[in-house]
Amino acid sequence: MIPNIDELIQNDLIHRSVYTDPKIFDLEMEYIFNKCWVYVGHVAEIPEPGDYKTTFIGRNPVILSRLSDGEITLLINRCRHRGPIVCQHEYGNSKHFRCPYHSWTYDNSGKLVGVPMPQGYGSTFDRDRLGLAKVARVAQYQGFVFGCMTEDGPSLEEYLGGITRFLDAYAAVSASGKIELFEGVQKCGYNGNWKYQLENGVDPYHVGALHLSAVTPEAMKIYRQGVGCVIAMDGHGVTDHTDWGPMPADAGLSGGFNLVIFPNLIVLRSQIRTVRPIAVDRTEIYTNVVRLSGVPEEVNIKRMRDQELEFGAAGTFFTDDLEIFERTQEGLQSGAVEWLVFARGLDREEVKGGYMTGAMSDETQHRGMYQNWKRHMMAAASSLMAAE
Amino acid sequence: MSISRSQVEDFLYMEARLLDSQMFEQWMDLFSDDAVYWVPAGRDDIDPSRHVSIIHDDKESMAKRVKRLRSGFAFAQDPASRVHRLISNVRILSEDQASGALEVTCMMLLVELARKRQTVHTAFCEFSFDTRKDPWSIRRKKVNLLRNGEVLESTPFLI
Repeated sequence: MIPNIDELIQNDLIHRSVYTDPKIFDLEMEYIFNKCWVYVGHVAEIPEPGDYKTTFIGRNPVILSRLSDGEITLLINRCRHRGPIVCQHEYGNSKHFRCPYHSWTYDNSGKLVGVPMPQGYGSTFDRDRLGLAKVARVAQYQGFVFGCMTEDGPSLEEYLGGITRFLDAYAAVSASGKIELFEGVQKCGYNGNWKYQLENGVDPYHVGALHLSAVTPEAMKIYRQGVGCVIAMDGHGVTDHTDWGPMPADAGLSGGFNLVIFPNLIVLRSQIRTVRPIAVDRTEIYTNVVRLSGVPEEVNIKRMRDQELEFGAAGTFFTDDLEIFERTQEGLQSGAVEWLVFARGLDREEVKGGYMTGAMSDETQHRGMYQNWKRHMMAAASSLMAAE
Repeated sequence: MSISRSQVEDFLYMEARLLDSQMFEQWMDLFSDDAVYWVPAGRDDIDPSRHVSIIHDDKESMAKRVKRLRSGFAFAQDPASRVHRLISNVRILSEDQASGALEVTCMMLLVELARKRQTVHTAFCEFSFDTRKDPWSIRRKKVNLLRNGEVLESTPFLI
């Protein structure tokens, strides 16, 4: 049975099955992660020729590589012969990927360059057509690399829309104008739906409540005074507190902005978080920590130490986020109450600078993201309808 | 007189027991003012000034963690995790009687029960002690989790 997508997202209400129904999750993988621009990594993770990173676009294992000419390529990590992933390491440097099963070997541009005992294949065997599959489109903005599994649709810049201005400002915090990263990744998992993390990445309303044990009085003031705003920006979410100050080099909670770039990238303070949906009730979060050029080394180290204290698997903020995501998944199992309420700011939000904008604690940005979600999922509903 | 392994074991068992019993303030008192409490991420041999860690606390950060756990608003610890630590394979690597410096390694098996879920961690632990005063103080505690490169569940308790 096709879930009735149209009815699941009301303007101020979201149906619980959006977070709990495995059929919805399957459709999300197909109609969101296989259709949208999906974040796969930052160029700073693969600085040298031959560097690679493996990750996922929805359910597709992919390899992000830097070729010898410096170009970035994005390949499906699956041997064309019998299907194993050809690279099992998260990061590395290699010009070749060899599937150990029958030693089919590819160069890092995906070309099939080695097949043992090729005489066993007939004259129709065309190795040029058996390279690693390429992700249909790959593009980057300020070094953030995105892949798109479909040829058609908006360009990356069109897709990012107004968010590009914030990514520019984020990169500009570094004196070189380029984002650099510390080595290593913070990896956390929770038994809950992936969209809790998207909502939470731009949710100033919860900071003074859920994070009462960790937030400083100064930071609390920002949230309580309501300085700043939330923006529904081209299907993505923004909390903008640049009124309070620009993105600070010390990564403190004293200005700047949080970005949630639908469907899987979160940028805030010193962190670049990638959201990886595993199942309707399982999500992994991978976080890279930004390193600035042009600031004293102790500032950079302090940024990393603060990030570890607050946002790793043992973080004083993040553990409470992870906790509430799991409690939400538990609560939403109940069919006794069908709807979640996303009504904050409905009667005071207004269009500013071309975008629906709410007060700092409002849910305008969430409503915008779910309208985006709905738009993609409605395409699922209509193509399934046509198929039936 | 040199320090015996059983003296070291007694200290490590006591440290483990303080954590298992949630006696966080007494646990923190074991650490010197310049102590480092470190749980590397990714692998054991990272440079913590270049590479992110799971925990890399000085005493001030440790105090923030304890303050949070005592605040009444640490929701991820409501109810608190129940934790058992087993300490084994204790080795004295070096002892310098003049400076009081003592280097020790051990294995830890840590079992946490939270939200009806039992999580097992194992770790190779490295300790640097200052043994000049009684009780000794911990100058460095490094917990090399076997799974430090994997996706971890929320770890709101003190490792």
